[in-house]
Amino acid sequence: MYFQKKRCIAMLLAGGQGSRLKVLTEKTAKPAVPFGGKYRIIDFPLSNCVNSGIDTVGILTQYQPLELNEYIGNGQPWGLNKTHSCAQVLPPYERHDKKSGWYKGTANAIYQNIDFIERFDPDYVVILSGDHIYKMDYAAMVAYHEENNASCTIAVRDVPLKEASRFGILNTNPDGTIYEFEEKPKKPKSTNASMGIYVFNWDVLRQALIADEDDDTSSNDFGKNIIPNLLNAGHKMMAYTFDGYWKDVGTIDSLWEANMELLGKDPEFNIRGDERSKICARNNALPSSYIDAQASISGSFIAEGSEIYGTVRHSVISIGCSVGEGALVEDSVVMPGVVIESGAIVRHAILGENSKVCRNAVVGGAFAPNEKKQISVTSKGAVVEAGTALLPGEML
Amino acid sequence: MNVMGIIFANDGSLGSLTAQRTMASLPFGGRYRQVDFALSNLAAIGVRHVGIVTRHHYQSLVNHIGSGEEWGMELEEGGLEFLTPYAMSKTDTYRGKLESLHAAMGFLEYGAEDEHLVMIDSSVLSNIDLSDVIAKHIASGKDVTVVTKAGVCNGKQQFDLAMKLDKNGNISDMAVDYAAPADYVASMDIYVVSKKWLAQQVKEHIAHNLYHMDRDLVLGQWQKGAITVNPYVFPGEVLFTESVDDYFANNLSLLDKKMRHDLFGYNHPVYTKVRDRVPTYYGESCVVENCLVADGCMLDGNVKNSILFRQVSICAGAEVENCVIMNDTVVGENSELKYVILDKDVTVRPGARLIGTPHNPIVVKRGDTV
Repeated sequence: MYFQKKRCIAMLLAGGQGSRLKVLTEKTAKPAVPFGGKYRIIDFPLSNCVNSGIDTVGILTQYQPLELNEYIGNGQPWGLNKTHSCAQVLPPYERHDKKSGWYKGTANAIYQNIDFIERFDPDYVVILSGDHIYKMDYAAMVAYHEENNASCTIAVRDVPLKEASRFGILNTNPDGTIYEFEEKPKKPKSTNASMGIYVFNWDVLRQALIADEDDDTSSNDFGKNIIPNLLNAGHKMMAYTFDGYWKDVGTIDSLWEANMELLGKDPEFNIRGDERSKICARNNALPSSYIDAQASISGSFIAEGSEIYGTVRHSVISIGCSVGEGALVEDSVVMPGVVIESGAIVRHAILGENSKVCRNAVVGGAFAPNEKKQISVTSKGAVVEAGTALLPGEML
Repeated sequence: MNVMGIIFANDGSLGSLTAQRTMASLPFGGRYRQVDFALSNLAAIGVRHVGIVTRHHYQSLVNHIGSGEEWGMELEEGGLEFLTPYAMSKTDTYRGKLESLHAAMGFLEYGAEDEHLVMIDSSVLSNIDLSDVIAKHIASGKDVTVVTKAGVCNGKQQFDLAMKLDKNGNISDMAVDYAAPADYVASMDIYVVSKKWLAQQVKEHIAHNLYHMDRDLVLGQWQKGAITVNPYVFPGEVLFTESVDDYFANNLSLLDKKMRHDLFGYNHPVYTKVRDRVPTYYGESCVVENCLVADGCMLDGNVKNSILFRQVSICAGAEVENCVIMNDTVVGENSELKYVILDKDVTVRPGARLIGTPHNPIVVKRGDTV
């Protein structure tokens, strides 16, 4: 088979469980969690790749891959199914030597797929993760990497000092070169947090991965092992500052917040955009949404194929949902295929795919503006029985 | 199933709405083109070889359908073919369907394994299970099956082909371009034939300077007793599009739950070109009542009893009632629209007022500013 040489390819780490999303990721890998009415989290890095001119993407899957694999398919929704492009799902596999089995860490996942990368003889490899919501032009980052003759470039964003100890922190010289990397430091020296987006020269990364694999004490992780090792070896490493919207949606609260940040006339994260920065998603061939004469909707996103008979305020209603007569949905994220029957009340909730809130049931509650919101969550296919309540912060 | 499809793109007779496009590429129902129904009906039964007969202004149709991947027809073998007048040798354009098929004889004779042929128009919309039509066609042993709809003839509206059926379901009368009385069934312009049989008929008819499918082949040969015709009466909802008035009413009929569910999901989904628009945003003070709303809209004004296509903006203070608004159109602040069809990319200036009537909607043509 003939493989076109690529200047740059991307490897997308999509195997994590996302255990902090609790019931939402019991049966679904985190990158396949629905977001923003018609998207899944993985649509963001995948669309960013395509919009940045990267047409070859390896997707490393491990945890609950069925739905994710189905969703990615042949990459057609993102235009990655062409003659010399691909969205290749890369699950762990058995090898003749003993270096096989489950992906032991992020670096090991890439190590096990060196053969895949070699086919394209790339100059640069971009490492991405499948759990962040943002729009970014990776091409600009690769250009920065190239201009600076770096071995590795890491995207960073400025975080508040009090949160810095939750992140991998990069300490840089005035010219942007990194002199130190600290994973979750107790006393952070700077506020440059790693976004988990790396550009590597492939030859450098390849050697680093092989060396890391030979080290039995390594946890085979980019942040813990590969990056510190390259720094210690004296490689030139650059920090690339990104100041656009970026959200780690790894927790129930942050997933809810990120959805809410899509709303408004001038939202914090505007996913509307021109053709060159649009986010693509697998399409479901649903008709337009029907809004009944009795419905009342304000400050909300409503995706295709929904039928709204009740009241929806400040919420995201995904594809193929229904909100019955007299029902109220407020400050909530309603995932695809959810049925909310008449008279039900849903507030400050995330309703998982195809879950159902029966007649006159109550989910969640109201909070004062300064109060900490306790989000109620239903898992995929869960049913809140008629007339029952799911209390604030409860999960079903 | 060894079935091939032919879709007639049809030239439109809807004034400015079809001045630059075929009936097939006429936007419909918020996110579709008329042809999506025919294509989806064929795709649903696994037809993978479809010819689209076009005559004029087919650029928008080619643009919409592309390689046919949304309908699963982007294949190396078979797939979708546009049968354009380019292939014509004898006359500069087609006078009738038989003539267009004659020009496409290469397509008709391609692929010996395809036994049956389904022909569908782009003016009549339905969500029909064609596998049942084909099975009944085969069981009938007749030459042509014509899919019909009962209860639409009313003595006023003219149909391409109408038939009277006796109590055994046999045809007792047939007429073309006829405002048939209520006891007639109207042809939905869907035919099932054997491919070889049709190819032979097309050659014979063209040789005798006959080119009209309904008049010369179906009616003419049936009257002579030369062919047998099997009427298939379709129970589901059907929308005929012969005039601007029909088009307007058809769109608004989707506000009815039964019509909507029948047309969009009765048998199978209706596929269309994917545009990847964001979900529609409903502003803090918008009022939307009894509307069908596509993705990508920004709604800040008041909209009632209307169909909004993709990426429509309704600005604050606008009052929109009984309108069909196609994609990428902007309705300015404090404007008022009643009984209006706005084609694509129209701009309605702030404060503008356009008032049509239920049977005479105002049509604003593509790209205009009013």
